[in-house]
Amino acid sequence: MPITKYALPDIIFGPGTFARMPLCARQLGAQRVLLVSDPGVERAGWVEQATDLLRADGLEWVYYNECVSNPRDTAVARGAEVYREERADVIVALGGGSPIDTAKGIAALVGNGGRIQDYEGANKLRKPLPPLLCLPTTAGSGSDISQFCIITDRKRRMKMSIISRTLTPNISIVDPLLTHTCDARLLLASAIDALAHAVESYLSVLSSPFTEGQALESVDRIMRFLPAAVQDKKPEALERLSIASTQAGMSFSNAGLGVGHSLAHTLGGIYDVGHGAVHSALLPVVMEYNMRDCLEKMAGIGRCIMGGELSNAEDTARGGIEYLRNFFTRLGAPVRLSRVLPDDTGLPAVSVGALQDVCTLTNPRTPHAGELLALCREAW
Amino acid sequence: MRAETTLQDIIGLEHTKLGFFQELRLSIEALRQAHAESEQRRREISTILDGITDVMMVLSDTLRIIAVNHVFHETTGVSAPEGVCCHRIFRNRDTPCPDCPALRALNTGAVCRETAIFRLNGDNRQFEIVASPLTAYDASAPRVLVFKRDVTAEKELQAKYLQAEKMATVGMLAAGVAHEINNPLTSISGFTEGLRRTLRRCEERLPAEIYAGVAEDLDTIRDECKRCQDIVRALLTFSRPQFSCVSVLPLSSLVRDVLKISHSLLHRPENRNTRLELDLAPGDGPATLGDEGHLKQVLLNLLANALDATAAGNGMEHAPGYTPTVVIRTWAEGDGVYLSVSDNGCGMDAENVGKLFEPFFTTKKAGRGIGVGLSTCYSIVRAHGGEISVRSDPGQGSCFTVRLPALTEGNHV
Repeated sequence: MPITKYALPDIIFGPGTFARMPLCARQLGAQRVLLVSDPGVERAGWVEQATDLLRADGLEWVYYNECVSNPRDTAVARGAEVYREERADVIVALGGGSPIDTAKGIAALVGNGGRIQDYEGANKLRKPLPPLLCLPTTAGSGSDISQFCIITDRKRRMKMSIISRTLTPNISIVDPLLTHTCDARLLLASAIDALAHAVESYLSVLSSPFTEGQALESVDRIMRFLPAAVQDKKPEALERLSIASTQAGMSFSNAGLGVGHSLAHTLGGIYDVGHGAVHSALLPVVMEYNMRDCLEKMAGIGRCIMGGELSNAEDTARGGIEYLRNFFTRLGAPVRLSRVLPDDTGLPAVSVGALQDVCTLTNPRTPHAGELLALCREAW
Repeated sequence: MRAETTLQDIIGLEHTKLGFFQELRLSIEALRQAHAESEQRRREISTILDGITDVMMVLSDTLRIIAVNHVFHETTGVSAPEGVCCHRIFRNRDTPCPDCPALRALNTGAVCRETAIFRLNGDNRQFEIVASPLTAYDASAPRVLVFKRDVTAEKELQAKYLQAEKMATVGMLAAGVAHEINNPLTSISGFTEGLRRTLRRCEERLPAEIYAGVAEDLDTIRDECKRCQDIVRALLTFSRPQFSCVSVLPLSSLVRDVLKISHSLLHRPENRNTRLELDLAPGDGPATLGDEGHLKQVLLNLLANALDATAAGNGMEHAPGYTPTVVIRTWAEGDGVYLSVSDNGCGMDAENVGKLFEPFFTTKKAGRGIGVGLSTCYSIVRAHGGEISVRSDPGQGSCFTVRLPALTEGNHV
């Protein structure tokens, strides 16, 4: 068995743990916090609650909210400037994947200087980052757990994957109550992103017994609780989704992902489409493509999805994929890229870009650009 | 960049969450900045200090050396003087030197100056010392900054200059006096000759013994007059020596010629025990251009002085085992040729050495010299473009060295 490594932040989980944010920030040495969030989270009221908590604790803060979906290099650079000018210390990220990735990018620049482009790839960050405390408001991105940071290079119209052990946040406070303000569409997209994390990291060439268990449990929880969460936001179901999302993060942070995420990253860079929205169309196609090289594992996922197995491994694997398509359709998630993207003219560029993405490296089947383009067409 | 990424990079075994200490990071930055600034200042100050050409020391109140500059190492040859007492290094003493300016500066809080002679690397060097109390330091541990400037060369030059100036003045005076005396002497001599002629005409009219007595007296007057005129001529020679004949003079053969004509001198009873040693450059020796008679006179003079200095009864009795010795050397060095006469005789103290080349100065007993010998030597050597120097210690002996310009293509006639 090859040598593996498994690293995680401190994870504080439970309803109401949001209130521990100032205490945790203090534990990281906070006196003047850089609070990173976005207008959506502001509207949900969480930013105000966060500043109330900080004020009550006597902590100073600087607020930064120039975060958009598919966070940009310019926003990261500006945030680092604010951090330095305001002499902030601990960075607190509150929100979905975008504010958290923006906060990670800011931390990378504050600790290492230069441009975020300098650190594209794996473990290019050599100097320590300021302490990072994450509070996810969606159940999906897993960025609060992972060593990944995905930033869009506006000039090159592509997403850069910055992977570094030192990007792992110090503390992640997962309070399921924070997801209660998400609308059904956001809950669905986030959960499907988490599901894609779980499936792709399970199939990854770097998966290990430590990640595989988390991945399968995550798939199981999402399949069982997503419908209830989307339909009537049952707190119990939302809590399970938060657990599942965190587990998927634990898995993919250490095992890596696959071509599904390579394509999703590149689509996000070229079409500026929401990350969560493309996975329901891509994931089944990618699973079919990968089945040739990891049939047993695909059967394992099929069992997990269907809650049972068919006559043989291939049937079980195929059965799982079909079940998943129907599941997505039933929930109203798009299973065709044509429903999400304005046109298909960018797809050749997407396939070429995806081939270069770091996530392609851990995919169980090594693709070439033509295969990736065929995947896009199949999912169109 | 992405193409280089491998699975091992993603696993990142050798990478980990790095600790971040904000305050430490900021203070390290500030420290680094401050360090760079102070390093720059240190370099500037060090450049200035290295530019100082005097010996510099910082001493504690017990005169222990705390810090020195590079000139200290070069001057004393001591590589690690820190912690050692100043008086140990410069004087090899256990206690501070009397009149120590550093102690005075510490006690009075004022800048103190002193001139002192230290023996360093076998040479006596004269130093001007300035000691300044360092008040900026903690009052409970006072310190003093000491500068020692080597003024040996300066003093030597100053002495030479003063000597030359004095000699020029004295020479002018002597020429004037000689001239003034020459006229009455000529009159005396002339009238004496007149009297002598008158006396010869009266020879028959005078008793024989009276005639003989007066004639003898007149001869004595004439002879003494002649002696006075010789002395006056010597003085005039001193004030403006004239070359009668310039030729190539190899020093070693010059010495041998002089020895031939100084037989009578060497065989005087008081010089009988004196050993004469010759350390001559081989063959005829290095040559210079000059007046043979004048330079022989110089050597003869120096030799006579050396013999006098080693003669018994001249202020010192010969100790048992003592061999009076006179050494004559010739050699070439650089663009000069050298002739030295040294003895292990009575020597002279510094005060006498300073007056040595003045006319009419003599250490000899009355009747043994009129004191124009060395001053004449001085002006002869100067007229040849050379120098005459003397080293002498009372009881140890003296060494007179004459340096003359070497004969080269350029000055060959």
